[in-house]
Amino acid sequence: MTDFLYPFLDAQERDQDALLRDLAASARAKAAESGALRASTLAACADALARAAAEMARRFAAGGRLFCFGNGGSSTDATTLADLFARPPGHVPLPAWSLTADQAILTALGNDVGFELVFARQLIARAAAGDIAVAMSTSGSSADLTAAFREAHARGLFTVGFAGYDGGRFATSPDVDVCFTVASQSVHRIQEAQALLGHRLWQAVHEEPAMRELATGSSAQHPIASPTERSEGER
Amino acid sequence: MTVGTLDQELAADLAAASLVLARRFAAGATLWCLAPSWEPHAQHVAVEFVHPVIVGKKALPAVALTGPDLVAAGRVSVRAGDVVLAVAGADDPQVRDVLRRAPAWGATTLWIGSGGRPPPGAADHVLWLDDPDPALPATGGFVLLYHLLWELTHVCFEHPGLLTEQAPGSVCITCSDEGRLGEVVAPGRVRTAGGVEDVSTLLVDPVAPGDLVLVHAGTAITRVDP
Repeated sequence: MTDFLYPFLDAQERDQDALLRDLAASARAKAAESGALRASTLAACADALARAAAEMARRFAAGGRLFCFGNGGSSTDATTLADLFARPPGHVPLPAWSLTADQAILTALGNDVGFELVFARQLIARAAAGDIAVAMSTSGSSADLTAAFREAHARGLFTVGFAGYDGGRFATSPDVDVCFTVASQSVHRIQEAQALLGHRLWQAVHEEPAMRELATGSSAQHPIASPTERSEGER
Repeated sequence: MTVGTLDQELAADLAAASLVLARRFAAGATLWCLAPSWEPHAQHVAVEFVHPVIVGKKALPAVALTGPDLVAAGRVSVRAGDVVLAVAGADDPQVRDVLRRAPAWGATTLWIGSGGRPPPGAADHVLWLDDPDPALPATGGFVLLYHLLWELTHVCFEHPGLLTEQAPGSVCITCSDEGRLGEVVAPGRVRTAGGVEDVSTLLVDPVAPGDLVLVHAGTAITRVDP
């Protein structure tokens, strides 16, 4: 028995119930904070969301495609958003991909030309005017994302950035057509609000008249139209 | 999920799951994550623990299990004492199969999901959002749950005196053995939480590799069917 040497150990064991109570209370407080932030973010971004949804729907209806990307946890949230567009429960699937899906491409670009270009180079290879680029980030300033937006903007893509804090470089960049900023200092709370915003964006896209035509097959789609033809048709 | 609410029961479940996860990590566990229908969630959980967003927090071993056969991936990856976390609906066949085998691999199980709930006992800790919306996995509801799991687990690390594992459960009073889940590896060889052991399968023969049995006192006393 070593209790006489470490009397505090027993006391701490008895503290287990207190710890569990503290953890549960902390979870509820953080969830409430997340909920409040998600509500205030949706309200603050309502106009931008409507604008982005209208343009995205117009592009999807004209054969445009969506490319999503991000770093770390945000890359997984961007992939979830691409998955939601591409295989949505109860809606028409739309062409959407995550640019982090292929490890061979990602590591080839990272190794050969530098990590900053892992997304920009993929857009050069795959994207055309009439497509859409969505990047999710908490800082709004990651070099690989701003490089990709520069490329996307130059190629006539519609660019949508998700950012946190004060919006970072996304908020002021001429390469970002619509920036959703989640005004928080917490990476976790920012990502939770961005996920909900992404879901609402997807919903709003499908509520656009252009999408309803696509769903019923009455819209003239031009999936193989040349970039020039499509950009002329849209601008 | 109603924005901004976490009911008392779910908060208590999260707290209990976090303490168990912290204890397992403290004892050397790896966290294995799977989310067959929404794979990015498994990767998000893994990156959360491996590369914490808060500087100074300990990096912990967590891995996303992906690919066509998650049972095979889990079987070869999971070691006794590890934790398996699934993010999936209650009807996901691969997740159900992995989680019912996990006790034979010696793993603790956590299940995050939404919609209809899995049957009682399907996982050690079930963290559930009852909203039936099939698009709920893309609303951030799960992200909130595993963010909280990460945050609370790290709070537990601030209480090292509470990180020791608790005593094992009750045992048979005649032979001091438990009824333990085992997965047949080969004839007469069964994998349980204690490792691969010699077990008589006379009472349940014929058995094939992968079959689940209940082991008591060196004997497989019954089959455990899905």
